[in-house]
Amino acid sequence: MKKVNRSFSKILMALVIIFFYLPIIYMIVFSFNEGKSLTHFTGFSLRWYEHMLESRDMMEALYTTFGVALIATAVSTVVGTIAAIGLSKSKKIVRDIMDQVNNFPLMNPEIVTAIGFMLLFITFQIEKGYATMLLAHIAFCIPYVMLSVMPKIRSLDPNLADAAMDLGCTPWQALTKVIVPQITPGIFSGALIAFTMSIDDFIISYFVTGSGVKNLSIMVYTMSKRVNPSINAISTLVVVIITIALLIINIAPAIFAKREEKEEIKKHRVLIPSIAGALVLILVIGLMNFSGGDSSLPYAGETLYVYNWGEYTGENLIKDFEAETGATVVMENFDSNEQMYIKVANGEAYDVLVPSDYMIQRLMDEGYLQKLNQSKLTCMENLVDAVKGLPYDSKNEYSVPYFWGTVGIVYDKTKVDVADLEKEGFNIFLDEKYKGDIYLYDSERDSFMMALKALGYSMNTTDESEIQKAYDWLVQCVETMEPEIVTDEIIDNMTQGRKALGLIYSGDATYVMSENENMGFYLPEGGTNQWSDAMVIPKNAKNPDLAHEFINFVSSYEGAYDNSSYVGYTSPNQEVMDELSGVGGDFEGLESYVPRTDNEKDEVFVYNEATRKMISNLWSKVKIAASNAR
Amino acid sequence: MKRFSQLAIPYIVWAVLMLVLPMALIAMYSFMEQGNSIISFSLTLEHYVKFFTDPDFLIILWRSIVIAIKTTIICLLIGYPIAYVIARSSERMQNILVLCITLPTWINALVRTYAWIGLLSEGGLIQQILKIFGLGGVELLYTEAAVLLGMVYNFLPFMILQINTSLCKMDHSLLEAGADLGASPVQAFMRITLPLSLPGVINGITLVFLPAISSFFIPKLLGGGQYFLIGNLIENQFITVGEWNFGSAISMIMAIIMMLMMMAVRKVEKRNQGGKEE
Repeated sequence: MKKVNRSFSKILMALVIIFFYLPIIYMIVFSFNEGKSLTHFTGFSLRWYEHMLESRDMMEALYTTFGVALIATAVSTVVGTIAAIGLSKSKKIVRDIMDQVNNFPLMNPEIVTAIGFMLLFITFQIEKGYATMLLAHIAFCIPYVMLSVMPKIRSLDPNLADAAMDLGCTPWQALTKVIVPQITPGIFSGALIAFTMSIDDFIISYFVTGSGVKNLSIMVYTMSKRVNPSINAISTLVVVIITIALLIINIAPAIFAKREEKEEIKKHRVLIPSIAGALVLILVIGLMNFSGGDSSLPYAGETLYVYNWGEYTGENLIKDFEAETGATVVMENFDSNEQMYIKVANGEAYDVLVPSDYMIQRLMDEGYLQKLNQSKLTCMENLVDAVKGLPYDSKNEYSVPYFWGTVGIVYDKTKVDVADLEKEGFNIFLDEKYKGDIYLYDSERDSFMMALKALGYSMNTTDESEIQKAYDWLVQCVETMEPEIVTDEIIDNMTQGRKALGLIYSGDATYVMSENENMGFYLPEGGTNQWSDAMVIPKNAKNPDLAHEFINFVSSYEGAYDNSSYVGYTSPNQEVMDELSGVGGDFEGLESYVPRTDNEKDEVFVYNEATRKMISNLWSKVKIAASNAR
Repeated sequence: MKRFSQLAIPYIVWAVLMLVLPMALIAMYSFMEQGNSIISFSLTLEHYVKFFTDPDFLIILWRSIVIAIKTTIICLLIGYPIAYVIARSSERMQNILVLCITLPTWINALVRTYAWIGLLSEGGLIQQILKIFGLGGVELLYTEAAVLLGMVYNFLPFMILQINTSLCKMDHSLLEAGADLGASPVQAFMRITLPLSLPGVINGITLVFLPAISSFFIPKLLGGGQYFLIGNLIENQFITVGEWNFGSAISMIMAIIMMLMMMAVRKVEKRNQGGKEE
């Protein structure tokens, strides 16, 4: 009977361990992938490790992540334990109230806690950065520690401390020699959970950080445009570092244990993680390479704060710019215009932003941008005419284009008849021939653009009945076509040919087509969205001169070439665009790289607060309809 | 004895500043009309009315609660035996196993979730394994099962850790005494082990249920955009739509629901502890 039990528990344990480690092993394997895909292994390579080691951002993020997590864990474990002991002796009412208060960070969706903290720091005018991130982490970690410690304290005999003091202990001794040893398992698991929560946190960190301080989670989330295996590489590095640290922890006490009493080992449990933590820090710092500035350059010692999309910058662009000007560039990333807007509208100071067309208009309208100094701009004549003087900024007084393109349909030539596309345009997303074989893009603007264009309306319509009809169109689509509503996973999925059709940005289509020759890109004759992301300088920029330099550099041949060839989006620089799409260029023969400019029905987004809200809410409803249809 | 209660005072001050104040700001937003200005505020209940009068919102609230309950139950059913096995092994082994279970959580959750996408996707490893058993072509990704899997994967360690903590300091002589007095193993478990581990179980439930109900990136990545839960709705209101007032109202509603649920759970705990409390 006992034996059966024992082997059963071994099997159970093994299964759970496999379950926990399967994704980790998968991640490690893909960190050696030659290609960019996270789901399709093409060959062994160390390129992502090189990429990781070269990226100063990544190494700094690694350092920040562990620094914050270790300090937050240490502080919150000590404070949480002391507070828990104190509370257990407090009046019942105080204890009950604090129980509820402690539940706040656990109970609230992270975004709510995050906004709460952000508002708090803004209200008290605390400059955001490493310190605020650390404060926030300590704040949400303490409740986890207390949650773990509390039950242990409750199960203690309440007279234990009194007994100890009657026997001559000072209160401090009673605490450290009697109570704490009794509750060590609780403290230990509390610390583990706190560390886990801190190391994994994204949203709270994102909204309370500033001045370019970021942790790995922020890095991963804002990379969403192009998640690449370097993220797996750095995670593998984390696994290696932790494993080394754990081996040290487990070997060291084994040596001591032979000589010392069993009780002593317990102490090591607390002491050793801190030693290991210090070791980790040293390792991480050792991996970082610091670059010194050259003081003879015009902007030596100055700093430029750039706020851009994740993975939207050429590999060498920042390095080259720093070498040319002597300035230091601090880059923060966002993964949606709206996310960026929240920080900018709440007073965060940046020198250069790279929002999309409609968001530029919104920032202009609300007075967040400053006019560019045309005498300092040397780049305008390099740019493609079609991307200059667009409706959101008709004289380019505020903005200089960064990337541009269209939104179209990516399709599998082996599954989709081009005649259907030509006949139906965006209405192909209602063609039941392709039921269960389509991807929609999870963005209200692009989805409503598609529906409005399919119905023959303007995508900038303010007519409520037209928007309502577009809503009905989308509901019909999700109810009858069984689409998958995805975001940037579409890039990888279409590269692997998992479905027949999908809505996609032209820049992403370029990548898909260069990886899979069966894929095509189609722009409906009924018109589509011509979009552009552009560089702007906010009013509260601290260094507008350097910002102008940066804009010029990005728009120059070298900067633009690096950007476009690395990211795959279309460059607004005429020469670069021609070269990359021409004979021998990186994107030769890919029709998606050169945006269509000769269709009168193509439009640029115009910002309208009322329709934006309406469309956002309706898109939520479309998604609810989609989940109801399942 | 009273001296110890003073230890809590600094934390109470801190908690008021860092936990209560932000929450109060959110609560204030939820009762304000459009806009974020504190100067020109006027109170309203419209955001609450909006939520409760729209069946769509109620449906997704219900759906989120159901999936969180399912996640919690699965975590409990898997987590309890595992925690039990860990607690019964030698102390050295206990440490190793606990670290084995925690280690994966130190890798970014998004990175791990992306790995699951790869494992579950069409032609991925899991589908190929299923094919061997003649179950080829089963759609795995973008299903409720995938969302559940992702949630269990992410939250199970907390359940195990909490139950294990309360089991491992249990006095085993109690079990022996029980056996001596004629209790069958099942009886001993039900009468001794289970009640003693209850605080850990409750904590585990708290740590799984609360984050599960409001999680948004797991449903988004493994369930697809069509898998829309209350966490996604709140995130959407704050970030995309920019209606912080409505978003705050929804999270206040959620907070109250969760508070009630946790109070109910704590009641069960208290009843089981009998007169022990004070």
